[in-house]
Amino acid sequence: MLIMPTTVLYAASNPKTVNLPLFSGKVSAGFPSPADDYVEKTLDLNELLVQKPAATFFVRAQGESMRGAGIHPNDILVVDRSLEPVPGRIVICALNGELVVKRLKRRGGQWLLGSENPAYRDIILLEELEIVIWGVVTNVIHPL
Amino acid sequence: MGRGDQRDSPAVMSPQRLIALVDCNNFYVSCERVFRPDLIGKPVAVLSNNDGCVVARSAEVKKLGIKMGVPLFQIQQLVNQHQIKLFSSNYALYADISMRVMVTLEEFAPNLEVYSIDEGFLDLTGVYPCVKDPIAYGQLIRKTVVRTTGIPVCVGLGPTKTLAKLANFAAKKWPQTGGVLDLSDPVRREKLMRIVPVGEVWGIGPRTAAKLNQLGIHTVGDLASQSGKRIQAQFNVVVARTVMELNGTPCLALEEIAPDKQQIVCSRSFSRRLTEYAELSQAMAEFCSRAAEKLRKQDSVTGCITIFIRTSPFNPDEPQYQRAASSKLNAATQDTRSLIATANQMLKELYRPGYNYQKCGVQLSHIQPEITPGQMDVFDLMVDGLSTENRHLMKAIDRINRRFPSAVSIAATGFDKSWKPKAERISQRYTTDWGELAGVKCL
Repeated sequence: MLIMPTTVLYAASNPKTVNLPLFSGKVSAGFPSPADDYVEKTLDLNELLVQKPAATFFVRAQGESMRGAGIHPNDILVVDRSLEPVPGRIVICALNGELVVKRLKRRGGQWLLGSENPAYRDIILLEELEIVIWGVVTNVIHPL
Repeated sequence: MGRGDQRDSPAVMSPQRLIALVDCNNFYVSCERVFRPDLIGKPVAVLSNNDGCVVARSAEVKKLGIKMGVPLFQIQQLVNQHQIKLFSSNYALYADISMRVMVTLEEFAPNLEVYSIDEGFLDLTGVYPCVKDPIAYGQLIRKTVVRTTGIPVCVGLGPTKTLAKLANFAAKKWPQTGGVLDLSDPVRREKLMRIVPVGEVWGIGPRTAAKLNQLGIHTVGDLASQSGKRIQAQFNVVVARTVMELNGTPCLALEEIAPDKQQIVCSRSFSRRLTEYAELSQAMAEFCSRAAEKLRKQDSVTGCITIFIRTSPFNPDEPQYQRAASSKLNAATQDTRSLIATANQMLKELYRPGYNYQKCGVQLSHIQPEITPGQMDVFDLMVDGLSTENRHLMKAIDRINRRFPSAVSIAATGFDKSWKPKAERISQRYTTDWGELAGVKCL
């Protein structure tokens, strides 16, 4: 990768000491804004999408099989690793060494991984759930 | 276990101190595996800067007898034979995962000391669920960290930091411990100390260990049974303190705020040999910039700068040359430009044509906290008429570079960065770059 510095600073040829003010206050004149009392904060999407930052990872979806769940190719998935994987949730699992998105199901005492596409059959989980589940998908970020 | 006797006794006014050391297993390798489940159970190693030496090994690689720090070229055959997966160091990834581990640990105790990128001390004294069953609490920490971050850890428990460290060493070494070991019980402690070599104790370096061995002190138990006075006389107060800590007397407090670094070093091997003064000077300027950035990040100034240049010690056929020089600064500074100017003056003295230079670097020492802005004008100008300090300018550059990496640099660092270290096997910056997220398949 080629990194080109976009700005180059040269040493000053004729330096002079410039004393900058440490603070500058705004002198108020006239009426204060009536909205001042209502200023709180701006909305932060992290607040909406991320419950537990230390456990939250973003991954990118590849493929079509989860369209039924609203997951399109190239969408960004918000994954929380600390959530309990319960039946019905969309999960990321490590299957045959690959990270895969599936819907977790429970049928007849068995854990199943299903796609949102009739062309795919459910996969019966033979290993322990803890080993296979990588995290629980909480949100999809899908550009329109 | 006898440990309970003392703690449960109502006569004891304060609960016995309990420190946990939580240490990530093969941290860099584990980070690589979080997004590559295909590598679990396979031999994986991470290489140092410039892909030179092994700095992290999976259990499978350790089993092959590959030692920490060996140069890659010495193990190339083993790498091919066992298909060891190699990675360049991906510090962006490791730093991000480390932060996640530490944040997760903070939930378990009121006090956490981040000891290194992959280790943290927790003060569990009086933490209620832990007092009842420290081992179960340790297991809960393990389970939570691996689930939250994907990183497996071991937990060592004991009444002092040194014992917690020792417990962690044993928990890692013996899988029967289930990754958690408590050395609060003196009987259990003694048993373990009898079989662990003294060199494994925290704070006992190879040189001290060799000297201890000469005195007939071979195991941790041997050291623990020494009189503190004798050890202090023959070694120093640090080793004497270690003896006390091994016997359960706390001498080291938890440091929740990392102390400022007393030395900042920035050096790299080049991807190709450099021969020209101009090239070396640019590389040196870059290292000065990095070091100065670190210095400003901890709000310090430096009073002494050391530089070194050298040829490759691995090519004994080539003419060898290595030199270092130090310069005490007239006024302590944190200004990149002053550091570069001083480094350049020294480099002019050290540089000899006709050699293939393989590495150079800069070290800052005599580091002190920066003084308040009002005192700054006292120093005013250096000999060459350059202002020694322009704190506002430097802080502005740091702010810009944090948002747009490498956007602003001092002209002396040059444009040609072809000497930059190799990182040919680096993995994606999965957690710090939107363009490099892990892909998950919709099968």
